[in-house]
Amino acid sequence: MTLLQVRALRTHFLTRAGAVKAVDGVSFDLQRGEILGLVGESGSGKSVTGFSLIGLVDPPGRVVGGSIRFDGQELVDLAVTRMRELRGRRIAMVFQDPGATLNPVLTIGRQMVLAVQAHRRLSERAARALAAERLTRLGIPDAEARLDAYPHEFSGGMRQRVAIAMALLHKPDLIIADGPTTALDVSIQAQILVEMRALARESGTALIWISHDLAAVAAVADRIMVMYAGRIVESGPVRATLAAPRHPYTRGLLDSLPATAQPGARLRQIPGNTPALLSLPPGCPFAPRCGYADAACVTDVPVIEHDGRMARCHHPLEPRP
Amino acid sequence: MTALLVAEAVTRRFVRRPSLGDRIAAAFGAASDGRAVQAVTDVSLTLNQGETLGLVGESGCGKSTLGRILAGILAPSTGRVLLDGASPMQAGHKITTRIQTVFQDPFASLNPRKRIGDSIAEGPVAHGIVTRAASGALVADWLARVGLDPDFAQRFPHQFSGGQRQRVAIARALAMRPDVLVCDEPVASLDVSIQAQILNLFLDLRRDLGLTCLFISHDLNVVRHVSDRVAIMYLGRIVESGEAARVYAAPGHPYTRALLASSPRLGLDHAVTLRPIAGELPSPLAPPSGCAFHPRCPMASDICRQERPPLTPRSDGQLLACHHG
Repeated sequence: MTLLQVRALRTHFLTRAGAVKAVDGVSFDLQRGEILGLVGESGSGKSVTGFSLIGLVDPPGRVVGGSIRFDGQELVDLAVTRMRELRGRRIAMVFQDPGATLNPVLTIGRQMVLAVQAHRRLSERAARALAAERLTRLGIPDAEARLDAYPHEFSGGMRQRVAIAMALLHKPDLIIADGPTTALDVSIQAQILVEMRALARESGTALIWISHDLAAVAAVADRIMVMYAGRIVESGPVRATLAAPRHPYTRGLLDSLPATAQPGARLRQIPGNTPALLSLPPGCPFAPRCGYADAACVTDVPVIEHDGRMARCHHPLEPRP
Repeated sequence: MTALLVAEAVTRRFVRRPSLGDRIAAAFGAASDGRAVQAVTDVSLTLNQGETLGLVGESGCGKSTLGRILAGILAPSTGRVLLDGASPMQAGHKITTRIQTVFQDPFASLNPRKRIGDSIAEGPVAHGIVTRAASGALVADWLARVGLDPDFAQRFPHQFSGGQRQRVAIARALAMRPDVLVCDEPVASLDVSIQAQILNLFLDLRRDLGLTCLFISHDLNVVRHVSDRVAIMYLGRIVESGEAARVYAAPGHPYTRALLASSPRLGLDHAVTLRPIAGELPSPLAPPSGCAFHPRCPMASDICRQERPPLTPRSDGQLLACHHG
C-alpha cells in the first residue's frame, strides 16, 4: 500500500545570485513499512528532499512545485497547524546530530513527556512510562533512572538512541532519518542500523534513510534512490541496483570506494566536481563528468524503466560480465 | 627494512585541572578524585622506511593523540619517540621538519586570513628550504603536483571546496620535504568521489616521494586500501598489529574481528550482514580491569577480567594482546 507519493517535487533556494535548485523534479513512491535508502554526495539534495517532506525547509528555501501526498493528504502548502499535527505523530524525523536535536537544559524524561503530551492526552506518569518503555526498546539500560539524566550525560551513540526513541514515541507511519549514524563509530553505527531495521519491520513504520554511505544503505534499505544535482538518477531494489547499476554515476560512486578496489591500487575516480546548482545546463547534469556522454546527453534525459528499476540515462550500463 | 620512526613504551596522560568547585571541596577536606585520562598507554611501534602504517580505532581510543606524539607535536608523559635515533622534540617543542602532518579538517588547519600560497610558502621560507624570492615557484610547483591551478596561490581558503582544501593541506605539508607524513583522518570529512581523488593523490605522491606514512583513520576500508601494516587501538593500547593483508584476512583479536563485522562492506554479491559488538567504549577515566575489551568480548573469561594480556608476537609475526588469541 502506498504511503507516500511524491511527484515532481521542486525545492529551490531563492538567493540574490538566482534560484539554487536543490531539489529539481523528484518523484517516487514509498510503500507502508518500506525502507528506502536515499544516497548522494553533499549538495545532491538528499537532505533537502527529506526536509521538504516534513515541511522543515528554512527560507530562502521553498517548495516551489510538485506534490507530496502522504496517506492521501497533500502536504505541499498544508497549513502550518495541520502540518504540526502530523509532524512527530505520523511523520517523525531523526537528524544527523542528536546533540542539536535534544534540548540541553531539559532532562530526557521531561522532553519525552512533552513530546508525548504534544499529541496525546496522557498523564505525566503514563507518559513517563511510555518514554521509559521506548528507551528500553532502543537498548538503553536502566531507562527508568536515565529519564532524569540530561543529554550531556549520554554518549553520542546513546544520545542518538534517545533521539530515535523520541521519533518512535507515537509509532509514526514514516520516519525520515537524515544521516543518523554519520557521526557515530562503526560499532555503534552497526548496532543502530540493525536496531532501526528491526524496529521498522516490527512496527510497520516506513523509513527513509538518507546517507552518503552506500554500504550502510545496503545494510538497512530495501530500495535505493541515488540523487545527483537535485534529481534522482537511479532507483531500484538495493541489491540488484548495487550489483549492477545502470547509471554511470552510481557505477562511479561504487568504483570510488576503497572497499571494492585492490588494496594499494589507484581508485577509479569520477573526474571533475559536482556542478553548481545555480546554473545547471540542460540535459543530464552528470554529462560533463561522464565517460559515455554524447551530443544527446546535453539536450535531454530519458527515463529508462524496467523490472522495478529506473535510470535517467541515454546510455544505461549493461551488467558487467 | 630500516626503522625510521620508533615509539618506545609511549604513555600520555591528560590531567584534568581541578575546577573551582573541586578546589573548594578539597579545601574543606573532600577527597580529591585527581582524575587523569590516560589517552595512550605503553605503546611501542615502529615505522619502517617507505612503509605506510595504518592506525585504526574508534573515537576516544587515543589514535590521534598517538599520531600527535609520533609527529613530535605532543610530548609523551613517559616513554620516547625517536626519529633516526634522535628525539623529534626538545624542551617540549618540535625541532624537526622531517615529520609533517595533514589533519582531518582542512577548514580548521588553514589560516582563513592567509592566501593559500603564503600558507604553503611560510614553512619552507622560515626553515630556509627556499628563499622568499624563489618561494612563488615552489608554491606553483606544489599546487600543480596536488592537482590545483598554480594561479590559486592568490586565493583564500574559503574560496575552495573541502577536497581542494585538503589538497592545499597536503601541498603545505609536502613543501617541507618531509620524510614522514602523519595523516590524521585526511579523508573523513570528504564525499565518496572526492575521497577517491584524495586517496589517489596520496598514493601517487607517496610513491613518487618515497614517503613513510602514518595513516590514522576510523574507516577500515580506507586503511586497508593504503596500508602495508596496520595497528588496531582500543582504549589507549594497541591490541593487534601486523601486515594489513593478514590482519584483515585473519584477525586475531576479538575486537578486530568485531570491528570488521560491524563495518558495512559491499561484497561481491552486495549482501551486507552486520554483526554488531555489544556495548560501548568504556570511559577512559575508569578503564576496566584486566583486558580493557573484556566487558564487550564474547570470549571473555576470568583471566581476562583479572590480567591484562601483553602484546605478544604470534608465530606468523602478527602482534596480539589477547588471552584467547
